[in-house]
Amino acid sequence: MPYIYSKVYKLLTKEEFANNAKLGKVLTRKCTKCGHLHLVTTYYCQNCGNKGFENTVIDGKGYIVTYTIITVPPDGYEEYVPYAWVVMKLDESELRISGFMADIKSPAELPLGTKAKITGYDQRGIIIEKQ
Amino acid sequence: MEKVCLIGAGSTKYGKLEDSIIDIALQASVDAIESAGIEPKEIGAGYISNVFGIADKQVHLGPVIMSNLGIPEVPSLSIESACGSGSVSFREAYANVAAGFYDAVLATGVEKVTHTGTEWTTTYFSYCSDFFYEGGAGASFPGLFASMARAYLAEFKATEEDLAMVAVKNHDNGFLNPKAHLRKKITIDDVMKSAVVASPLKLYDCCPFSDGASAVIICSEKFAKAHTKNYVEVIGSGRGGSPAALQGRDHITTIPSTRIAAQAAYKMAGVTPKDIDFAEVHDCFTIAELVDTEDLGFFEKGKAVQAVREGRTRLNGDISINPSGGLKSKGHPIGATGIGQVAEVFDQLTGKAGERTVKNAKIGLTHNFGATGASCAVHIFKSV
Repeated sequence: MPYIYSKVYKLLTKEEFANNAKLGKVLTRKCTKCGHLHLVTTYYCQNCGNKGFENTVIDGKGYIVTYTIITVPPDGYEEYVPYAWVVMKLDESELRISGFMADIKSPAELPLGTKAKITGYDQRGIIIEKQ
Repeated sequence: MEKVCLIGAGSTKYGKLEDSIIDIALQASVDAIESAGIEPKEIGAGYISNVFGIADKQVHLGPVIMSNLGIPEVPSLSIESACGSGSVSFREAYANVAAGFYDAVLATGVEKVTHTGTEWTTTYFSYCSDFFYEGGAGASFPGLFASMARAYLAEFKATEEDLAMVAVKNHDNGFLNPKAHLRKKITIDDVMKSAVVASPLKLYDCCPFSDGASAVIICSEKFAKAHTKNYVEVIGSGRGGSPAALQGRDHITTIPSTRIAAQAAYKMAGVTPKDIDFAEVHDCFTIAELVDTEDLGFFEKGKAVQAVREGRTRLNGDISINPSGGLKSKGHPIGATGIGQVAEVFDQLTGKAGERTVKNAKIGLTHNFGATGASCAVHIFKSV
C-alpha cells in the first residue's frame, strides 16, 4: 500500500486512512507543540511551523458545507453519474474534508447543512454518506 | 529596481486551431516582436507558460521557440502554474527585467488541447486540483467552482440567473473581439437552458477549452523609450497563494490568493481599487467573476451581484470588467490566458482595442489564477 504523498518521510498509509474511514473515523495529525489539527497530508504545522505530529483519530461525522452534482465526470467516474462531490465540516474540529457521495440526483436531495459522515476510502476517493 | 514597461503584444485567435503548439506559439511571438518594432536578437530571455504541451507531443517549449525565432543561444524556461501559468510567467519576466538582468524579454503563453476531446481535458484538468481530496474523489473543475457557486448563492441570496448575467455581459464584449473563441451574443435564457455540467453550473456558465497563444515584450523604461513612444508602464505586481484544496479555506466564497496578490500590487502601484478603469479578471466560470471582483476590492463581499444586475461592470460602465470577453467568451487556452490578459491591457492602453475600447482608460489591471485560486498573480498597468 503506497504512502500518502511521500515515501521519504513516513506519513500515514492510505490503508491506515481507509481502515479508519470504514469505521466512520478520520485519521488526522495533531501538532505536538500547539495542538492544531491537520488532515493527513501535512508535514509542517500551519499554525506554528512545528514538524512534530501525533496521529489522532476523530469522529467522521459532520454536516455538508457545499457540494456539486457531477454530470460530466472525469475519467473513471462515468458509471457513477450523477453523483455529488461534497465538502463536509467535521463536528469534532474546525477541519473540513471533501469527498465522493454516491447517488445524488438533484439538489433537493441534499440541502446545505445535511448531516453526513465518512464511511470509507476506495477507488472513488474518500467516501461520504448522509447520516 | 528598474521601471518595467510593455512595448509589444500579439495573439493568435483563440478557439479550435489546426496548427501545432509550436506554430501558434511562434505566430503570437512574431506578432509581439513586430508590434514592438524590435529585432529578435534584442531579446535577452524567453518565458514560456504552458500546462499540457504533452498533449501535442512537445514539452521543453522554450528552446524550440527560441531556435525558430533565430535566437537559439537565448535562455528560456517553461512555467506551469495551471490556469495561472501566464500571469506567473509574466511576473518572473517582470522581476528579471526589474532586477536588471535583461533589457528586454519575451513572455509567450500557449495551449493546444482541443484535439484531445472533452473527456481528456476534463480528466487532465482535474489533475490541477489537490488530487487526493478533489480530482481523486470525482471532482471536475466545473464541479469545484460549482461548489463555490452553491455556497455563494446561499450566502448572498443570489440566483442562477445572476450568474447567467455575467456570461451574457462577457459574450457581449467578446462579440466585439475578432480573436474571441465564442464570438456570439447569448441571452439569460440560453444560459439557463444549456446542459448542466456540475450543478448549479451549466455549460454556458463555463469557459470553453481553447487553443491559442499570446505573447508580450517586456523591457526596461530606457529600452522602451529608445524604441517607441507608444508603450505601457507596469506599475504594480503582486502574487499570492491559497490552500490548494477548497476544504482548507475558512470561507469558500473568497479566494485568499487574490486578496494577497491584489494588496501587494495596489501597494506597489500606489493606487486603490477606485483608480482602476478596467480589469481583465479570471472568469473561468461565471461565479469566479463575482468572487474575483469582490476579492480585488471593486465591490464589497456579496455586492458584486448587485453591480452585475445594474450593468455597472459592462463595457464603459463604472468599471469595465473583461472588455476582451474574458475567459468565458474570448476563451481559455490555459497556458496563454494570463499573457492574453496583459496583451489586452496593452491594446487598450495603446489605442488598439477597436470596438471594445474602454473610453479614457489610463489604468488597467490583470488578475489570473491557477486551479481554484491556489496560485494567483495581479498586475497593474498605466498608460504613458
